[in-house]
Amino acid sequence: MIEVRAVSKSFGNIKALENVSFDIEKGEIFGILGPNGAGKSTIVNILNTLVKPDMGDVIIDGFNIRNDDDSIKLIMGVVPQEIALYEELSAYENLMFWGGLYNIPKPELKKNINKTLEIVDLAGRKDDRIKTFSGGMKRRINIACSMLHNPKILVLDEPTAGVDPQNRNHIFEVIERLNYEGITIIYTTHYMEEAERFCDKISIIDVGHIIAQGTLKELRQISNVKDLLTIKLAAAESEIISRITSENPLFRYESASNSIKVECINIGKETSVIINQIQNAGAVIERIYTQGTNLESIYLKLTGKELRD
Amino acid sequence: MFRLLKKDVILFLHDRRSVILTFLLPVILITLFAFAYGSIGNYDGRSEPVKLLVTDLDKTKISKEIVYKIDSLQDIITVVSDSLRSKELVIKGEYACALIIYKGFNDSLEYGNTMPVELVFDRSREMEISILQQNLISILMSATGEIMIKKNIEKYLNELFPDEENDFSDEIAGSVINNESNKQVIKWTPIVGIRNDTKLGLIQAVAGTAILMLLFSVAGVGTSILEEKENGTINRLLYSPLKGSTILYSKMLFAFFISILQLTAMFSFAWLILNMDMNVNIPALILMIIATSFAVSSLGICLAAVAKTRQQAQNLSTIIILVMSAIGGSMIPLFIMPPILQKIAILSINYWGIQGFYDIFWRVLPLEGILPKILILMCTGVVLTLASIQLFKKRIMKM
Repeated sequence: MIEVRAVSKSFGNIKALENVSFDIEKGEIFGILGPNGAGKSTIVNILNTLVKPDMGDVIIDGFNIRNDDDSIKLIMGVVPQEIALYEELSAYENLMFWGGLYNIPKPELKKNINKTLEIVDLAGRKDDRIKTFSGGMKRRINIACSMLHNPKILVLDEPTAGVDPQNRNHIFEVIERLNYEGITIIYTTHYMEEAERFCDKISIIDVGHIIAQGTLKELRQISNVKDLLTIKLAAAESEIISRITSENPLFRYESASNSIKVECINIGKETSVIINQIQNAGAVIERIYTQGTNLESIYLKLTGKELRD
Repeated sequence: MFRLLKKDVILFLHDRRSVILTFLLPVILITLFAFAYGSIGNYDGRSEPVKLLVTDLDKTKISKEIVYKIDSLQDIITVVSDSLRSKELVIKGEYACALIIYKGFNDSLEYGNTMPVELVFDRSREMEISILQQNLISILMSATGEIMIKKNIEKYLNELFPDEENDFSDEIAGSVINNESNKQVIKWTPIVGIRNDTKLGLIQAVAGTAILMLLFSVAGVGTSILEEKENGTINRLLYSPLKGSTILYSKMLFAFFISILQLTAMFSFAWLILNMDMNVNIPALILMIIATSFAVSSLGICLAAVAKTRQQAQNLSTIIILVMSAIGGSMIPLFIMPPILQKIAILSINYWGIQGFYDIFWRVLPLEGILPKILILMCTGVVLTLASIQLFKKRIMKM
């Protein structure tokens, strides 16, 4: 559906993107993960034909962004990072305006608006002015405005920024429903849990470079990050601890927390074996902690830094 | 207490808009108003000289002497012209008045008849006319009054006592030579502001205020482009099939439309409520409203194009609009301003707009007389529009 080939883009002396390539299949949810300033919005603007790359090619559903701007704009919907709505207009008036830009016949547009309002669960508030809406409701209308021309591809640029958990879940449901209906979704975020939750493929970007990309499983393999099992002992008995560590060289003792730490390839299967080994050595276990591999740990491993807001 | 005060001072100094509005703008306006009221740059406390068009059709020794005497006055600068051209220049508002000494002036003086001298003037230029009134009467009286009055008395006495020798005419002449009624020696003829019932003050109030407020409302429209850029709606519009130029042109069209609507509403209000006489050249009025709206809306958009942020646009608009309105005649009628400010005034849109409406309502000029002002306003609009398009392409539409 989308082919991005060796794209580079600079703004003055600042290299926003360098040699970026990825493919997105039809019906996929593709996550672009990175901190602020990593180049996510530049990718979005290139995909939307607003910014032309200095080098490289982008083919979207057979159209080249260099000369098929108009065709690409018709198959693509963009949900901007900002709540780009007219606050003095009602939700319905906003939808009529934004949908009207695509020259959709009025009866069809009205039908699309009603359907979209149902999807974002705001049909009951359609006549209220946007300025009376909560942040989460505005975000949902912000998404709705980009869906009215039935795009094949929907680009969501940080759609949950500043949204409370309840509204965030509401937005996730909307995205999952749209994807279920066959829309290809490109999702930029700097929230790991969002990318983990529903992205089929994830591209990790930092300072204009793609560091790694693939499914979560593939990223786990690339980064070589493992699950972590932490077993806190009831007492710090040196004889028992040295017995455990000598019999199991992969077991690591941390005196500060009086814990044994073990990296696991499959934490579900390995936990009971490890517990048995520790108990057989005569130790009394006080508490057990598990930490599965997640994007946070992968990002940390790949970039050497934490991804923050 | 001191900390709170210090905090407010720091916040105030960081807010450039507040600093400009508190200090810079008042200083600029005070300077301009001081100029306008003649407190700066005047001639040792005297008013600046009045320019007087003079036409001497008699060309006799006495008429030439009068012209010479007028020219030698410090308060008057004479400009020689023919009578038709003089009247035309006064009607167009380029001069306040013209003195015409008609043929037969000397003969009338000899025979004690009414002197054929006329001062044609613009009623709106009261200050200049009052300066002239004092000077012209005294010169004419000193040059001609004694001869004229003596001749009149002789004529009267000869008619009354045809058989007697009247040698006391000098005595009588001396007693009446300074009589107040002598100002009738000149025929005072207003030729501007006589065909329309609207008072000058009303035209000034409506045209001046309408253009001033128009500038503010159009600047608001211009600023809304930056507001839309800041809240992301411009980008969202660019994501749609719309072209960047379409977005810009629609804003310009909206500003133009609002301007026409506002000016029309202002003049309609003046007509319906303030009894402004609308018995004027309507096509010229429509063209003038369109031209003024075009120039003003282009300026509003251009101010927004020059600024990088909404805040900057607001600051810039406030300063430029107030300064331009002060020098252009929106706040103080231009005819009471000193010549230097009247020259600077041509740099403002307000000047051309207000003068155009004066031409229509006060001078009652035909369309061809107003066309130059309409053309200047249209050209100003075109230049500002082209500049705005280039600036917007570079700044606003750039992602």
